[in-house]
Amino acid sequence: MAAAVRAQSVSKWFPLRDGESLHVLQGVDIEVEERSVAAIVGASGCGKSTLLNIIAGLIPPDRGEVFLNGVPSKSFTEWRSLTYMFQDDRLLPWRTAAQNVAFGLEAAGAPRAERRERVAETLALVGLADFAEAYPHELSGGMRSRVALARSLVTRPSILLMDEPFSKLDPSIRSQMHDEVLRVAGLMGMTIVFVTHDVEEAVVLADTVVTLKPRPGRVQETHVINLPHPRDPLSAEVAERARLLRRSLQS
Amino acid sequence: MTAAPSSVPAVAGGAPKPAHKPARGPWLKIVAMRLGLLVLFLGLWQVASLGAPAFVLPGPARVWEAWSALVASPGFWRDLGLTFQRVLAGFALATVVGVAFGLLLGASETLGRFFEPLLTVINTVSSSIWAIFALIWFGLSDWTTIFVVFMTAMPLILTTVWQGSKTVNADYVELARAFRMSRAQILAKIYLPTILPLFFASARLAFGFGARVSLVAETLGASSGVGYRLRQAADLVQTDQVFAWTLTLVALMLALEFLVLKPLETRLFRWKKRAEID
Repeated sequence: MAAAVRAQSVSKWFPLRDGESLHVLQGVDIEVEERSVAAIVGASGCGKSTLLNIIAGLIPPDRGEVFLNGVPSKSFTEWRSLTYMFQDDRLLPWRTAAQNVAFGLEAAGAPRAERRERVAETLALVGLADFAEAYPHELSGGMRSRVALARSLVTRPSILLMDEPFSKLDPSIRSQMHDEVLRVAGLMGMTIVFVTHDVEEAVVLADTVVTLKPRPGRVQETHVINLPHPRDPLSAEVAERARLLRRSLQS
Repeated sequence: MTAAPSSVPAVAGGAPKPAHKPARGPWLKIVAMRLGLLVLFLGLWQVASLGAPAFVLPGPARVWEAWSALVASPGFWRDLGLTFQRVLAGFALATVVGVAFGLLLGASETLGRFFEPLLTVINTVSSSIWAIFALIWFGLSDWTTIFVVFMTAMPLILTTVWQGSKTVNADYVELARAFRMSRAQILAKIYLPTILPLFFASARLAFGFGARVSLVAETLGASSGVGYRLRQAADLVQTDQVFAWTLTLVALMLALEFLVLKPLETRLFRWKKRAEID
């Protein structure tokens, strides 16, 4: 299978005020197979969010290269096939749920009729067909997350990037969102790369988990999690994998 | 999925309704109170007018007569229309310039810091001084009034838009960038909606100020319009005419507020969560 996302010896420095620079990432190699879920795990300050932003094309790497669906990200133009989910839902308060979902399509300027159809479809996909006209402040945290998910899915992306997704939700709703994302990803044949500091979350969702070592951030190990889905976050297997991961992070 | 029902708020069938509807009782009470105030005002006016000559304080009946005659007179709608046009033109220019420069100054910190003192200066100059300058520069023309309205309304709108564009949530801009939106799209889809409530409040204020100073400008530098008629009436000591025009203007501003601005505001800002005090 081809790699949907490939980072090749990616390095990044951030300039500091005193003319020095902070070495954030050093020679990071990551390969994520098509239709698989990869987690990037590490302590805070290990550069995992920076790595995700580089993959997303939001900031350029200083060295190395990122390939998306086999194309170097510099010449990658299919930005609609890659979407980004933030830590919080970032719904625009002045837009209804449907209008928030439509936001995902607006950059490309899709025709109005097509847009409306896609939005309705995607809201139905995440189980919010009845709440299209509700404003964000009228929705619960879980529902808001679904709207944000729908906004990311409305362009029918093949790659979904998530930065500590759902970390601000209650544990029970969070677990629902995990099921939801995996269901939809399977349905749409998406590749998912997400960043987290929560090893349990990584074990529940991911096929492969990459651990990063901090200062400068570099790949420590790649773990394959071959447990069958759905994975119960409270099961012994998940706990055992999580324990192994945590130990590898602490070494 | 089992926890879902407990997390669903009281929004059913996708048609959210306002949580509160004003009860019938208080509403009637308010109408009664307003009517009472009106009667009290008219009564006091009547009593006061009895003790003063009509050229100082004409009574309500006399003003009513003057007003009826005024509305029926051929020049009434022309003067009203002219003044309204001038106010609207000045206000429209102020909106375009105020929003454009407000966004520009908001977008660039350097420009903002550079121009800040200029704005303070403009704000401190009285509208009457602008009227005098306008008279010197434009003479007896529409532009005198338009200029004064513009100079009064523009700094208000500019300052609000400028300050408002500083309150734009950086997270939303980042979101728009993640969706590959252009600068123009970010401006239209993130900045404008953020600024709109503030802009609306300042535009309402600016329009009110503009409408009021337009009369000052017209008394000095026009040969038509409501301000000019007011000065004419004053020169001829037609106090009832002054009252009649005043009545007209008050009625117009009230109509604008309740027939245009209030409904527009309700429609535009439906998305806002009402702060409810129990």
